[in-house]
Amino acid sequence: MASIGTDTFFAPLSELNAGLKAGEFSAEDLARAFSERLQQLGPRYNALALPLHQEALRRAKEVDKDIKLQRFRGPLQGIPYGVKDLLAFAGQPTTWGARPYAGQVFDYNATVIQKLSAVGAVLAGKLSMVELAGGGGYRFPSASLTGPGLNPWDRSRWSGGSSSGSAAAVAAGLVPFAIGSETSGSIVTPASFCGVTALRPTYGLVSRHGAMALSWTLDKLGPFARCAEDCGLILQVIAGKDSKDPGSAGKSFYYTPQYARPMKDLRVGYAPADFAEWAEPATRPAFDAAIAVLKASGVQFVETKLPDFPYGAALSTILAGEMGSIFEPLIASGKVDELADKPQIAGLKASLELSAKDYLKAMRLRRLMQEEVGKLFGSVDVLLAPGRATIASKIDQALDRGPGGTPPKDPGFRSIIPMGNLAGLPALVLPCGFAENMPIALQVVGVPFSENTLLAIGREFQSRTDWHKRRPPAA
Amino acid sequence: MKLTRRKLATVLVSATAVAAQQPAPSPAAADDLTHARDRLQANARALAAAPIPMATEPAFQFKA
Repeated sequence: MASIGTDTFFAPLSELNAGLKAGEFSAEDLARAFSERLQQLGPRYNALALPLHQEALRRAKEVDKDIKLQRFRGPLQGIPYGVKDLLAFAGQPTTWGARPYAGQVFDYNATVIQKLSAVGAVLAGKLSMVELAGGGGYRFPSASLTGPGLNPWDRSRWSGGSSSGSAAAVAAGLVPFAIGSETSGSIVTPASFCGVTALRPTYGLVSRHGAMALSWTLDKLGPFARCAEDCGLILQVIAGKDSKDPGSAGKSFYYTPQYARPMKDLRVGYAPADFAEWAEPATRPAFDAAIAVLKASGVQFVETKLPDFPYGAALSTILAGEMGSIFEPLIASGKVDELADKPQIAGLKASLELSAKDYLKAMRLRRLMQEEVGKLFGSVDVLLAPGRATIASKIDQALDRGPGGTPPKDPGFRSIIPMGNLAGLPALVLPCGFAENMPIALQVVGVPFSENTLLAIGREFQSRTDWHKRRPPAA
Repeated sequence: MKLTRRKLATVLVSATAVAAQQPAPSPAAADDLTHARDRLQANARALAAAPIPMATEPAFQFKA
């Protein structure tokens, strides 16, 4: 049995795959080392929902047989990973992070788990999340069956939500990659707060079959990983048509870095107010330095504005309408009161009172938003903004309180998260520095199915910086 | 089914006991619900202020 060193816990997929092929360690060695680490350190960050140690070892032994027979199945073969606990894994609890579903067990696997299993990836555990992905609107990070997600960079701070465990586990080197989900911000926020590279794919590109539904027209699944390259390799596996997902776009994704457009041909739309006014003062030097790195890569920066729409109101209305319908049985049964966060309970109850008129108005506005956002991308190739304008908040801090003070007049891309989710746009999160010893990140948003362009920018940025390689102090 | 006075009394006492156990909504919970409703209404007002051409159909079959 080979010993697995600390560097291996933070190695990108290419290094892990090379080590497996060269016989430096086996898939079983990796599965044992990562799942033990996940079991040991996961609770330290409230990141672990369910360890799958024995299942991982069993699967890894099968993978080792394949490798011995030179049946190579690609760069994810033998790589341990974790999934947000909203994905069904047959015969094991799938809690959706919520007490009313603590005993829920499905008899089938989510499509993404099937796809990852088919290429030899090894599921090491299920990762914690905000209860019901936070759709009702929660006030405190403690809104989870596993307690507040603790940030590996500072356990007094939140790891972000709702894919809290996915981000924290990757940041702390507990798994090489993880799958999370986003309805509005649930990949971008925890990735930014934990300093992890992550990708929110285009709506419909990755099947949600077997995933908890929060909003049929907004939900997406995506990877958290060590770097942009890894996100591309993972997306290639999990993307694709699925007749079991009515929202499936019917498209595959091929990661093709060799065909990336030259950086000098790319126009990056940005709003100076995001970085100079909305970003917390402590974060501004790091954001300025990150922009300088991107400029040095040759991309053209173009000042631009988002089309003027009530993005936040539209997203909240659509989410309330769909969530209320999905969770009506939970609400009607009274079991909704078992949730941990009181405002979340109230939000779910109130969602049943939303009128069809308001839902349809939001969905009609959404059509106009998509058209206008499409026009915006006639003059730029991608949009650039802070992942979040602040560092991670303290775990006892209320999340529904604004930053205080007078907000800047220029809205910048303040609505880029609801806008991007309403229009189904992909986003790549890139760690870009630190403020008060906490990570901050950029988000790069593109047109639907432009993941290869986003990943090319990410690769270029990460070839010039090492923020994505930094490790939390305790890890 | 014949209901004796003893059985009726038992049922009534049980029902009263169950009713007494139902917690009344706490003021904090009522506040949270009021806030949640206020948020929905604020969203509706923001949407109402945005003009929509009559021919605009909802994005029901949402494909990016």
